[in-house]
Amino acid sequence: MTPLDLGQLWVMRIHAAIFALLLLLAGAGAEAVLRGNIDLPRGVIVLPLLIACIWLVFIAPARRFSGWGYAMDAEELQVRRGRLTRVHTMVPLDRVQHLDIAQGPLERSFGVSRLIVHTAGTLHSQVVLPGLARPTAEAMRDEIRARIKRDSV
Amino acid sequence: MSEEIIADRRVHPGSIILRLVKEAPSVVFGLPAAFAFFSGSGVWRILMVAGAICALVIFLNWLAWRSFRYGVGEREIVIESGILSRNRRSIPFDRVQDVDIERGPLARAFGLAKVRIETGAGGKDEGVLDSITVAEADRLRGAVRAWHAHGVSEAAALPEATALAAPAQEGRLLFSMDLPRVLLFGLFSFSLVYIASLFALLQTFDQALPFDIYDPARWIGLVEHNLPGRLTAAAIGFLLFVAVLLGVIAGLVRTVARDYGYRLMSEGVRFRRERGLFTRTEAVIAKARVQLAMVATGPIRGRFGWSGLLFQTLGAASDGSGMQAAAPFARREEIETILADAGTLRLPPPPELQMVSSRHIVRAVAASVLPALVAIVVGAIVFRPALFLLALLPALAMGAALQRRFHRYALDGELLFIARGVWRRRLWIVPVANAQAISVARSWLQRRLGLATLSVDTAGAPLARGARIVDVRHGIAEALAAEIAAGRRLYSSGRKSGTDR
Repeated sequence: MTPLDLGQLWVMRIHAAIFALLLLLAGAGAEAVLRGNIDLPRGVIVLPLLIACIWLVFIAPARRFSGWGYAMDAEELQVRRGRLTRVHTMVPLDRVQHLDIAQGPLERSFGVSRLIVHTAGTLHSQVVLPGLARPTAEAMRDEIRARIKRDSV
Repeated sequence: MSEEIIADRRVHPGSIILRLVKEAPSVVFGLPAAFAFFSGSGVWRILMVAGAICALVIFLNWLAWRSFRYGVGEREIVIESGILSRNRRSIPFDRVQDVDIERGPLARAFGLAKVRIETGAGGKDEGVLDSITVAEADRLRGAVRAWHAHGVSEAAALPEATALAAPAQEGRLLFSMDLPRVLLFGLFSFSLVYIASLFALLQTFDQALPFDIYDPARWIGLVEHNLPGRLTAAAIGFLLFVAVLLGVIAGLVRTVARDYGYRLMSEGVRFRRERGLFTRTEAVIAKARVQLAMVATGPIRGRFGWSGLLFQTLGAASDGSGMQAAAPFARREEIETILADAGTLRLPPPPELQMVSSRHIVRAVAASVLPALVAIVVGAIVFRPALFLLALLPALAMGAALQRRFHRYALDGELLFIARGVWRRRLWIVPVANAQAISVARSWLQRRLGLATLSVDTAGAPLARGARIVDVRHGIAEALAAEIAAGRRLYSSGRKSGTDR
């Protein structure tokens, strides 16, 4: 299976960093309020949070990143994701209803985009494949589109 | 072709009265009852208020009736509604999947029918004409069918279109239920849930009752009066008996009201279903839209050889899920007949289905015993005797261990069979050609045990009850997934299912 573009790893890290920062701020606020009312040692909330955040920013993204993978042949798109619960999804290309390519500002600055494949199913009504280099995503989209067109004629 | 269709038709004026009668219990009688309850005024005054409210409701209904207009063109139906802000909606015929006709007891007395135009877009009230004459409903349905029959050029690829296009011939009766069978089905539909709804109903009318049903002192007094002194075991037994009896009666009444005169007909490329005692409903299921079949039964009715057949179709059924009842209470042979008529479907072959991995028991026991254990321990901190509940754990574990016996699967040619459930036994019959996506998932514990869950996603599947095989060995799951994917290619090349576009 092909791993994701390395840019996605940075996107994940920065997303995690923003989240960790917000978490720390909230923790610091909560600690200030608590220490105003009860006598507590300094850092009772912030320190554990800090450890969690270090894990969140420096360890978790790489693990999550390595959980992702994809493969596409003439018949189907395979997407593998997850570390703790590993899911391997196969989407037959002639089942694709429509396609999106999405790109957030952060993703744009790292040159990656998400390919979103919609099917008529319920459980996997959309399969999201993040972290594709823009040209790769467009090539895949064009290939799937050509495939759908050929089938519907 | 896009001529402006003039919405010049209105629903039948009788619907003004019809709607009044339908709303009557809650609006007309509820308000004066509340009024009387608060002010304690005389009968005449209440009648006057009721009359005024009646007049107001009639006026509002008349306004709604006046503002609601529809028109039927060659290619589409147009509905205009709204008193102040007008809303014009057009539904092209090639998007119409079903034209359902529903006839309640009052509507039948007036010779009216409620028509629901289903487009499969999910919105429930997309095109409802409440109510028009039966002749008009037939005319509307005829117009849609005529379009599908003649405007074939675009509609050819749409199976639902061709399903509607077939002329309304007298179909072949596939399955019907006579009254004894409906009653028997009602016995099995026993549920205490209906008692709750009975209480809800009582609550609506409690102001009309001469006593307060929620007054505990009254009930305790009643019990004490009838059973002097103490609440005996016999009294508890009697109460339980009454509860069960009520459950049985409620199940019977509900089933008879819904399924009386059940008929399933096969009309070429579609099924037609009619049922109902008071409200007669008629629904059309296009065979090409059937995604999978489900045979559901229970431990007792299964022992007597009864089970129900459901079809999962594209788009929402009238009750919101994608499941449509085809035969709610049938013998195996009857189900086989219907399945054979639906196309490629059939019941699993005589060689038994395969059981999932024996380690499924480990997971099932862990999933059912651990949360209960935690709950009991937490409960015991507050209330020590809760520890006695620990005695129930072995029973729970045994129930979980049973799950494996009833969770079986088989992939036979173009059909995937999955059976699951101890109490509610379901058998999914999935044509692999209809698979939308196939996925193999492995949780942390499953990876430790070398297991995986295989799920086959189909169109219109309910989220919680999709077809999945839980806890097969990982290697088998991957092999099955590959085989399903290959089978899907093989079998879907020959025929087009409704979702290919």
